[in-house]
Amino acid sequence: MLENSIFAILALFLLMGSLGMIIFKQTLFSAISFMLAMLALAGMFALLQNSFLFLAQIMVSVGAVVVLSMLVIVSVNIKEVNLPKEPAKFRWMILSAVLVTPLAMLIYKALTHVHTVFEKTTEDYGSLKMMGATLFHEWVLPFEIVSVLLLAAMVGAIVIGRKEQPYDS
Amino acid sequence: MTPDNFFLLATLLFSIGLIGIVSRRNLFVIYMSIELILSSINLLLATFSRLHGDMHGSVMVLLLIAVIAAEAALFLAMIIHLYRLKRTLDSDAFTQLSKRDVL
Repeated sequence: MLENSIFAILALFLLMGSLGMIIFKQTLFSAISFMLAMLALAGMFALLQNSFLFLAQIMVSVGAVVVLSMLVIVSVNIKEVNLPKEPAKFRWMILSAVLVTPLAMLIYKALTHVHTVFEKTTEDYGSLKMMGATLFHEWVLPFEIVSVLLLAAMVGAIVIGRKEQPYDS
Repeated sequence: MTPDNFFLLATLLFSIGLIGIVSRRNLFVIYMSIELILSSINLLLATFSRLHGDMHGSVMVLLLIAVIAAEAALFLAMIIHLYRLKRTLDSDAFTQLSKRDVL
């Protein structure tokens, strides 16, 4: 019973945050709504008894990604005139919602064909120990590839983000 | 709190992200919509991991969170670069690779 009410509250926050993200005109408000949605998603991971993912979501998605986005938004310092003019925003939203609805219904139908309920989990499900055992026994290669990807992204971000300089100086 | 509720929630998040990409022109909102779609996949994987009772799905979520972080770094650098070029966040202003300027 308690779980159900917590789920309802978190789902409400998640949907409100994500809807607010695409509705607000000011970019910083969008980022704040996005942070709300990411926090609610971390709560969802906690409801799924996955304590490590809860921590990782809070630390990486909220603590790093959203805060970095906010810092960029604040440092870019967008004036009202530089924001895109979107007079027909809501019309486009309704049109795309109508177009997306069949796809969403298809996805939901396909997913709910798995007729199951949550069973009681083992004692150490979601613990750091089990996570580490699975990660380093069977997922070592993807883990290494992700580390290379992060390195490449870091180099790329530095190269793209620096100021333009003449090549032969 | 059944798996179906989580599936419905993941589907709704995916749809909202898709609507955001299609209907908005602000580069930041497009970027955050892409992140929302990736996060809905995260929720789905975590639900399946809980259904199966093993940690494979959770490990995938962990790797996907790392990919999201990499994507965020690249996308934000790209936005700053584009903003310096044209002083706007309008995605319709960047048409260098489309045919519209040539014709």
